[in-house]
Amino acid sequence: MPISSFYGLQTSLRGLLAQQRSLDVTGHNIANVNTAGYSRQEAALAATPALFLPAGGTLTGSASLGSGVDVTSYRRVRDQFLDLQFRGQASNLGQWSGRADTLQRAEDALAEPGDNGLNTQLGKFWDAWSDLANSPNPNSDPAARQALVERGQAVADTFSQVYDQITTVQQQARAEYDSIVAPAGPGSSGGQIAQIASQIAQLNDTIKRQTASGDSPNDLLDQRDQLLDQLSTFGQISVEKQGSGAVNVSFVDTASAGTTYSVVSDTTATWAGPPAGDAWSPGGRAGGLLEAVRPGGTLDGYLSSLDGVASSLTSAVNGAYGGTFLESSDPAHPAGSLRVTPAIVAAPSTITAGLAGQGANDIALRVSQLRDGATDGAYRTFVTKLGTDVQEANRQVNNAQALTDSVDDRRSSVAGVSLDEEMTNMIKFQRSYQAASRAMSTMDEMLDVLINRTGRVGV
Amino acid sequence: MSTRITSGMTQRNILASLNLVNSRLTTTQERMASLKQINRPSDDPYGTSRAMTLRQNLQATSQYKRNADDAKSWADTTEDALADITDVASRAKVLLTQGGSDGTDATGRGSLADEIDQLIEGVKQSANANYRGSYLFSGSKTTTAPYAMGADDAYKGDDAGLDPAQPGVLREIGPGVTIGVNTVGREVLGNGSGDDGLLATLRKVSADLRSGDSAALRGDDVTKLDANLTKLLEVRSRNGARTNRLEMATERLDQLAGTTTEQLSNVEDADVAQTYIDFSTQQAAYQAALKAGATIVQASLMDFLH
Repeated sequence: MPISSFYGLQTSLRGLLAQQRSLDVTGHNIANVNTAGYSRQEAALAATPALFLPAGGTLTGSASLGSGVDVTSYRRVRDQFLDLQFRGQASNLGQWSGRADTLQRAEDALAEPGDNGLNTQLGKFWDAWSDLANSPNPNSDPAARQALVERGQAVADTFSQVYDQITTVQQQARAEYDSIVAPAGPGSSGGQIAQIASQIAQLNDTIKRQTASGDSPNDLLDQRDQLLDQLSTFGQISVEKQGSGAVNVSFVDTASAGTTYSVVSDTTATWAGPPAGDAWSPGGRAGGLLEAVRPGGTLDGYLSSLDGVASSLTSAVNGAYGGTFLESSDPAHPAGSLRVTPAIVAAPSTITAGLAGQGANDIALRVSQLRDGATDGAYRTFVTKLGTDVQEANRQVNNAQALTDSVDDRRSSVAGVSLDEEMTNMIKFQRSYQAASRAMSTMDEMLDVLINRTGRVGV
Repeated sequence: MSTRITSGMTQRNILASLNLVNSRLTTTQERMASLKQINRPSDDPYGTSRAMTLRQNLQATSQYKRNADDAKSWADTTEDALADITDVASRAKVLLTQGGSDGTDATGRGSLADEIDQLIEGVKQSANANYRGSYLFSGSKTTTAPYAMGADDAYKGDDAGLDPAQPGVLREIGPGVTIGVNTVGREVLGNGSGDDGLLATLRKVSADLRSGDSAALRGDDVTKLDANLTKLLEVRSRNGARTNRLEMATERLDQLAGTTTEQLSNVEDADVAQTYIDFSTQQAAYQAALKAGATIVQASLMDFLH
């Protein structure tokens, strides 16, 4: 069977085109070296179907003559398993950093150990009682009583400042949580989760259509993977790949296995907000924040410890004083509403220092001897608890950060663009292109001989 | 296949290590600036608790010291007043001896009796001594003068401090440790007529001088005045023992403040030398990381291709 004279030209042309496409991909990779979430691509080359030569074409019978090369697809180099690992760690990191950020602010509110903390204020309060015991006489030394009232008010103010600041931290963390989980509604695009959900749904739609037409939308897949990475920092996600190219995404409840909350289903963003009454544990930053701010959560625990210290102080002082010196205007929040009884503030001279004559100071002594007792101890226990919690959260953040970085390294080891590698490829493809065109020139010279010089004898 | 090292990885790793070294430097810098090892509870929760206890102890110690100083001043003023009273009683003894002598006539005794009457007023004045507005000898009724000037010799205070049922004027000089500082005037000066207190004795001496009762002047009166002098000595030595105890307590509290400050410093303060060494080491590490990073980031295959 005869083979076309121009066959070789066609083969070289395929080579030229394939190397050119590979160079294009290299250019695309280099251009995206700093694009977040970008996975390197490569042109998958394969030899084109050979020309089958039936019996008679060669001595041995039949044979195949290679016809060159073609680009079969543009592949995205990425390991989906590493994506899973990364998202698990990112969710863990989000959870601990949400917790650490919140608790650190509560810790700052205490101002311990230092001269402005409650510990020092309590010490000065006991000092003032001791001074009153030294100068129990209201006529000769009214300053001792005045100073005592002021010290008492300073203790009460410090209590309510710490209480208010922890409450503020609680509100701020709650606001951040809401800005993450709020569902989209009429006139609002919702929180971060809802916004990511709608972007994923749109990408799903485009990817689905391009996949159906046989295309591989690599860059859109990268964008979607990056959105999924972002989503995983807010909570633990589960991603189900559909045959159509779309993904279904949902949050997984870390506390109750099997419970999921749909975020994206096919081409629809289905995120409807968290279940009522904070009744979920999503993990991630949302979970970390929620754990701190939910009713009965960590911050509530701190507030009730502080309330306990304030109640203990009130009952110890009033018990030793034998009357009402300290009181809480709001029994539900003893620490937030602690104050020196208004009657005493109005007339400090009514403070009784002792039972018998005016020089007796047994009562003032009894109160000053409460120093370093149960109240101070309870407060120290509270500070130690908070300190330990923050220390633990910080340690976990460091661990999670190290693990996330390590998985991210492995991931970008596979999917990242290496400029050195691209430069090498560039030279490789450039040389291949030059060689293919040299092959074509050779064919041309051969045809030149055939067309222009053959049968020209005597012309 | 060997691990591919991509441009993104290199950049991130360099940045991560720079951040790590930098955050260590910041922590060390904070320690250097505050000179404190513990700047917040999470730096060392247990150390924080200890630091808070020690701060409380330190504050308490300085308050106890202030209390002890106050008690000491009270005791010193009491001692001054008691010394005055002793002087007066000794003078009365001289006058009594003089009056008891047969060589002293009625006129002489009369003028001696006048002087005794003046001494009685002097005793009362000394007994009405006060410290920062509080009468020292009235028990717990520190706003009431223990004795009125003039003929009324009745004790106006109470027995707080003398009577175990009534707490006296106490000062707290240690955790749960109190010391009584007041002296009850009635114990020394008595409650006027009807007892053998100093005032009643002096009144009787004065009366005996006027009536010329030589037997009483030489006998009963001398015995009673001597008994009062002995009593005064007893009260003064009790007060002196109190002063000693307070001086010892102050000394002990000073020592305690010293040790507590040292302990607090051990728990809370940064070791300056160590911190500076850490700082230099970390600074060197930071510079090394910067240099390594700059070298790695700059090098590329492109430099060698044409």
